[in-house]
Amino acid sequence: MILLEPHNVIIQQTILEKLQKPTSLDVFFVDYDNVRFHLSTPEKKTILLLSMSIPCWHELEKYGAVEILQREYGTLVLSQPEPEYHVSLQIDLEQVPKDSESQEAFVLSLALLKRNAVAAPFERAFSAQKDLEASGGQGELTQVSYRDQEQIFIQAAQDRVTVIFSTVFQEETDRIFGKVFLQEFVDARRQPSIQNAPQVLYSSRDPPLEIRHVPGLRNSEDIGYVTFVLFPRHFANKTVASAAISHIQLFRDYLHYHIKCSKAYMHSRMRHRVSEFQKVLNRAKTEVATTDRKTVSGRTMVNR
Amino acid sequence: MSVLAPIICDNGTGYSKIGFAGNSDPSFVYPTAIATRGSANTASRAPAVPAKPGHLASKRGVEDLDFFIGDEALANAKTPGYGVHYPIRHGMIENWDHMERFWEQTIFKYLRAEPEDHYFLLTEPPLNPPENREQTAEIFFESFNIKGLYIAVQAVLALAASWSSNRVTDRTLTGTVIDSGDGVTHVIPCAEGYVIGSAIKHIPIAGRDISQFVLNLMRERGEMATVPPEDQLKVAGKVKENYSYVCQDIVREFRKYDEEPLKYFERYDGEHSVTGRKYSVDVGYERFLAPEIFFNPEVYSSDFLTPLPEIVDDVIQQSPIDVRRGLYKNIVLSGGSTMFQHFGNRLKRDIKQIVDRRLDAGALARGSQLKSSGVEVDVISHKRQRYAVWFGGSLMASLPDFYNFCHTKAQYEEVGPSICRRYQIFGSST
Repeated sequence: MILLEPHNVIIQQTILEKLQKPTSLDVFFVDYDNVRFHLSTPEKKTILLLSMSIPCWHELEKYGAVEILQREYGTLVLSQPEPEYHVSLQIDLEQVPKDSESQEAFVLSLALLKRNAVAAPFERAFSAQKDLEASGGQGELTQVSYRDQEQIFIQAAQDRVTVIFSTVFQEETDRIFGKVFLQEFVDARRQPSIQNAPQVLYSSRDPPLEIRHVPGLRNSEDIGYVTFVLFPRHFANKTVASAAISHIQLFRDYLHYHIKCSKAYMHSRMRHRVSEFQKVLNRAKTEVATTDRKTVSGRTMVNR
Repeated sequence: MSVLAPIICDNGTGYSKIGFAGNSDPSFVYPTAIATRGSANTASRAPAVPAKPGHLASKRGVEDLDFFIGDEALANAKTPGYGVHYPIRHGMIENWDHMERFWEQTIFKYLRAEPEDHYFLLTEPPLNPPENREQTAEIFFESFNIKGLYIAVQAVLALAASWSSNRVTDRTLTGTVIDSGDGVTHVIPCAEGYVIGSAIKHIPIAGRDISQFVLNLMRERGEMATVPPEDQLKVAGKVKENYSYVCQDIVREFRKYDEEPLKYFERYDGEHSVTGRKYSVDVGYERFLAPEIFFNPEVYSSDFLTPLPEIVDDVIQQSPIDVRRGLYKNIVLSGGSTMFQHFGNRLKRDIKQIVDRRLDAGALARGSQLKSSGVEVDVISHKRQRYAVWFGGSLMASLPDFYNFCHTKAQYEEVGPSICRRYQIFGSST
């Protein structure tokens, strides 16, 4: 598995299961970036309530997340979300289309709830870029604090959309792995096969010029900034744009996932090396000649 | 709620049960299997080495990411180039490379959680060497940077799960756990949260054997003639799960079936997995004979002949004398193969008989008028029995105390992996 999938597996599996056989249900689970879900059947076995709490909701709301969710889910969105949660969807299992193909598509769209909510600022920036093509100039810098100390900055310009991530590495080793990994990202773009990929820039510690004026940025060793420059070809049509959004908003998790994978790979190399060394050591053992040592009276001395 | 729910990870030999604390069922139950590149028999092959020097990105491929876990692993077992491995044998982790990658995908693909934000509760079998615990801690703290870790013994969690039964009044961690999964059945005595290692007994009869026994019975009767050979074991498994129960008296049960076969015989309908052809089989005596192999193992195996009640009694008799009463009073069932109807009742009756017989013999030998006040025997079965260990973990980890008993990342870095050799028992009210 190289890429992380944008949908939530628990939502997908549980709802597909409940479509077969509705039972009462009450589960809590999470998704990346401190998102919490609650899936329950408060009234009837056939009416599911899916609620999501997302820490940066007030920002997303500002950038039109509600409209996007309305567009994707229509009447499913409840006007009054469950207490302690930000969005609630009510799903009537009896209203779900019966044939398996459209059923699966419906469930998948539910599983993309978090992705759709976070997509709002991106979609806004993409449309802002279209408007700016004629007039020129710079769009507004949108800022989403998707985690406690980490932000996404999105800015539309005349011919591009710039997405900047800040990410915090909790550990020294992670920081180094991350640095190498992101360097690779920059290098890999030189290969002819992926010339069309968005440009990626990486800077650790110092924020890139675009956002240097933003107040409250951290300037410490453990922070890194990744800049993606998206050109109109990356969001020209709808499918490309939605794929771009799915990938780019999972980028932080993707990065951290791969840091962990690299560590696991290192560990397996280490384990292999240790077992090789152990073999060498075992070969180097000298055979101890075991002769019976006798006492004067002829009894054998035994090591206890 | 500022802290995200802890993750409970119960990796068993056959299946892994994974989910978030506070829920009553695990979010995922899938086989502990991993399908990697390369055939299954080259188990300890060296990982891929950088092939050619030069450009960094082209140095090595992504073979170490090319793998599947769980149901997907089994589905890909037949794909050329993949081999399926089972990293856990007899409850203990054998292949750390595979296990590390198994966890990697469990966390990132299925749970979709950032390990940095969560506490983890892992389980281990009784008598797990402390070195294994250290290795596990190393992986979780160093590869995944988790917040905190608690490693609990499965038997203790199974005891905690029994608190959900309304028959349990005091939350004690003293009791005998009968844990019967797919591969092996353990009888484990626990005294106040500590496993009495010297008294543990294993029985080589478990779920897999019961399925095989049902299959044998049905074949002998000629029921399986219409079932395609590749589906036979699956059908036997379904019959075992859906129709079996424990009877109190075999002879009477046989007579009942012979008098009114129409009332007691059931029909199982199946469909061929490839051709879609329908078939149906009669389900008869195997309904009550299947679980009978716990009580009369001679009907199935010729080399293991001790019935389960006798083993339980043995285990308790080998435990220290001051906890025996507690062990008899709280016999807890856990695992899928203890789910048969009336299993608990029958076990209780048989153990009670053994105990009473011994008390009577003792009284007779003493020849005195003094009579023992008797020993209370109780077998607890409850609703959460199938995933009892996981449920116990979920229960424990949702206590506010849980975080105090975890070893945090900071503590781990201060002391090193050896900190995980010891975990404090918590949660019991005594």
